[in-house]
Amino acid sequence: MIPSDHFVRFYNEVFKFLDARNGLEDYYLEISRHQEHHCLKHFMEKGLQGMEEYWGQIRVEENCIMSSEVVGDVRYSHMKKCPSLSKVLDNDAEPCEKYCLHCPGWVAPLMTKCGFYYIKYLRALDVPECGSVFSDNLEKISAIRQNLKRDGFKYIFDNFDQREEVEVNKQERLKV
Amino acid sequence: MLRYQENNQLHRDFHGTTNTTLDYIADNYGVDALKSILQDTGEKVYKSIHDKLAAGDASELLEHLNWFYFREGAKYQLTVEPDEIKLEVFECPAIRHLKKMGLPVSKHACLQTSEVNAGMCKNTQWESSVEVIGEGHCIQTFRKKEC
Repeated sequence: MIPSDHFVRFYNEVFKFLDARNGLEDYYLEISRHQEHHCLKHFMEKGLQGMEEYWGQIRVEENCIMSSEVVGDVRYSHMKKCPSLSKVLDNDAEPCEKYCLHCPGWVAPLMTKCGFYYIKYLRALDVPECGSVFSDNLEKISAIRQNLKRDGFKYIFDNFDQREEVEVNKQERLKV
Repeated sequence: MLRYQENNQLHRDFHGTTNTTLDYIADNYGVDALKSILQDTGEKVYKSIHDKLAAGDASELLEHLNWFYFREGAKYQLTVEPDEIKLEVFECPAIRHLKKMGLPVSKHACLQTSEVNAGMCKNTQWESSVEVIGEGHCIQTFRKKEC
């Protein structure tokens, strides 16, 4: 058994193996499908509040130092100290330089499936601090993205290129 | 003393992500690739355990086995002799959690134990083996090689 405490260090070894074979993207999609088991129904039924509940539990179980809030139709999350990257950096094995990319890698496809736009932003890939924004209001979240860019965030990931699919899935979610 | 001190909350759903990953790597890159990643995890992530075993010191391995199986709520028995360590796990916490989540257990699930243990012992005077008695029930053995 790999202890659940040490999973992320195993994950890091997997990333290094896959990155050397240009295989990260497909793996992220597999993890995203796996995460549907935990999140899809919850997010479809409860939307942003469902995300608050899911990541609220993660905050406790993974010992995250983070804050989040829902303001109208936007959910903001600020990870002040990511426990996942922190463990990978506190590791006798070498960290994968792309470690942080797994997060948008699985969350973005899931958000598209739930009919939400999503932004993940970071200043660096070796500092365990990042932010996320979730909304089904494209105009509002696009303005937030512009502000993040203006504020100099070096890494900004989103699913805005999946607009058509997000909008279709949004309508499906609103029926739920 | 353990290299990785873990004393706070547990996120057991990581057993599910491990399970998915075992299948994904085996299906797309082959079982040998999976074994290689797991052995690297044993040797490099657990470098401290590995290096101590290489120096003839099994203290961190013992502490690791005892602490993490206890922490995950396993029922187990650890038997220690000068040249042999046996850990019998009566109900694997990872498999128990997969079943609780309603996820099928990967046919490669036990490799995470056998290959990580093998990585810890690689190029040391210790060797490891895992005997699977039944689903979730195994005996892990670490034995000093005869000179």
